[in-house]
Amino acid sequence: MRNVCVIAGGMCKWGVREASLRDMFQEAGKECFNDNKAVTNKVIDGLLVASAYTERSAFQTHLAPVVAEYLGIKPKTICARVELLCASGSSGIILAYGLIRSGIADIVMVIGGEKLYMPEKWEVFYSELASVDHDWDGAQGLGLPPPAFAMVAKQHMKRYGTTKEQLAMVSVKNRRNGLNNPNAQFREPITLENALSAKNIVPPLTLYDCCPITDGCAAVILACEEKARDLTDKPLVYIKGTGQATLSNMSANMPSWTTWEALTIAAKQAYESAGIKPSDLDVGQTHDCFTISEIIEYEDLGFCEKGAGGLFIQEGKSDFGGQIPINTDGGLLSCGHPFGGTGIRQAIEIMHQLRGDAVRQVDGAKTGLTHNLSGFIAAHTVVVYGTEP
Amino acid sequence: MSGLKILEGKYIATMDLYPQEAKEFNRIYPFYQHLREGRFTTTRCKHCGHEPFPPRVICPECLSEDLQWIDLPTTGTVEEVTEEEVGVPLGFETPLIHALINLGGRLKLFSRIVRCQVGQLKEGDEVVLSVFTVDPVPIQIGRETILKDRVYYAFEPVKS
Repeated sequence: MRNVCVIAGGMCKWGVREASLRDMFQEAGKECFNDNKAVTNKVIDGLLVASAYTERSAFQTHLAPVVAEYLGIKPKTICARVELLCASGSSGIILAYGLIRSGIADIVMVIGGEKLYMPEKWEVFYSELASVDHDWDGAQGLGLPPPAFAMVAKQHMKRYGTTKEQLAMVSVKNRRNGLNNPNAQFREPITLENALSAKNIVPPLTLYDCCPITDGCAAVILACEEKARDLTDKPLVYIKGTGQATLSNMSANMPSWTTWEALTIAAKQAYESAGIKPSDLDVGQTHDCFTISEIIEYEDLGFCEKGAGGLFIQEGKSDFGGQIPINTDGGLLSCGHPFGGTGIRQAIEIMHQLRGDAVRQVDGAKTGLTHNLSGFIAAHTVVVYGTEP
Repeated sequence: MSGLKILEGKYIATMDLYPQEAKEFNRIYPFYQHLREGRFTTTRCKHCGHEPFPPRVICPECLSEDLQWIDLPTTGTVEEVTEEEVGVPLGFETPLIHALINLGGRLKLFSRIVRCQVGQLKEGDEVVLSVFTVDPVPIQIGRETILKDRVYYAFEPVKS
């Protein structure tokens, strides 16, 4: 089995974009190639494209050859689209890792993103009904579900004493981390008072507890270690281990709302395959689609005891200088969340952290992690990266 | 405000927020027939006894295809309530209220609550199945297009 490295990464500006899906795939591909001039479109042998709503918001299936053509890539090992909604990007990275590790491919671009703002805004909320089991939860009006996460927050508060202030601290931290990120959707700081007095979305979740709707795209290039050594003079960043788990999809079959069992399984699989413990991690990008998500992720990724996630943020343990800085580029709450792009954006930030050239650098970071949840908290995806294989 | 003239008056299944319930499109169509009778049902595996929800055409435990329809309770107890006042998807009214409800220990699911005001429903309250009609679907059979009626379900507070 071969070692696999991330040798380039880049993304376009995320937010409400005056651009089409095709435009943004070109912008992100260009930014990715700009990150490493030794890697050109001519040396890529495989392409994986991560996008969830492409048939709905761009009326385009068979997307990967479209992107290949626009980026001047002529793949010969793989050219396909990957879809796992919010974890489409990290799923693409896992698949590229497997293809390169096994020798089927050598240099693969994983590019992902979404065009979510339609000429009329109602359409994105309507399309979101397809993100859960459409015939059942979707027909109950549950899209990408603030109501589900509000229920999770209420239960976590009741069971573990988590407070609204602790939720707000997550958004204040992540907005602060995104301040200097030129590609983030939001680059303005918020105060705890702003967060606590914001308008209701679904109580107890208010405006800043929820990530926005976002247009955007991001790309990384993975290569086998041998090629990576030829193609970059920057420190090598290795994929060390991965895990992806699901136990249920419809709300009726969720084993627990406050302990995400599929996340504990995916995390265990990723840590074991990487040969690390949670305490070995220096930095992490976790799926802060809602503030309560990040709090539960501290717990179920093993950074703290079950139920102690609220204290973890309150005591600054997920901030710079703390036990493990989380969402150092601003996370979903600052950067936004174009589903297929998010896992790739997280990988780019970890790549920068481990190379030592991040905008907000964690000193001496050697091991990092990305995590996505997708759908109705139905699947979890974890990837561990390191400066050593 | 108009969109594409060629689509005027056309039904587009991928834009439908409710399922295709007709026998012609769905093997679990009896679920929807049962709703019309006020029954909330699922499939039980005759081989291993598993009772998954939603209903299936194979048992997800033992993979048997030998299934029977069984009734689930039509009343439940509220465990958690959420009230959505902004960002409600097209086709649903504001406020959009959901609750995690427990149907007699047989099934716990997140369901829409209708005929309910903000602040009305509390943990421990009883709710009952509420069946309503939704827009019919035009189905082309041979050269004819017929309109097939549809129903869907939510739960509503039990009047005390």
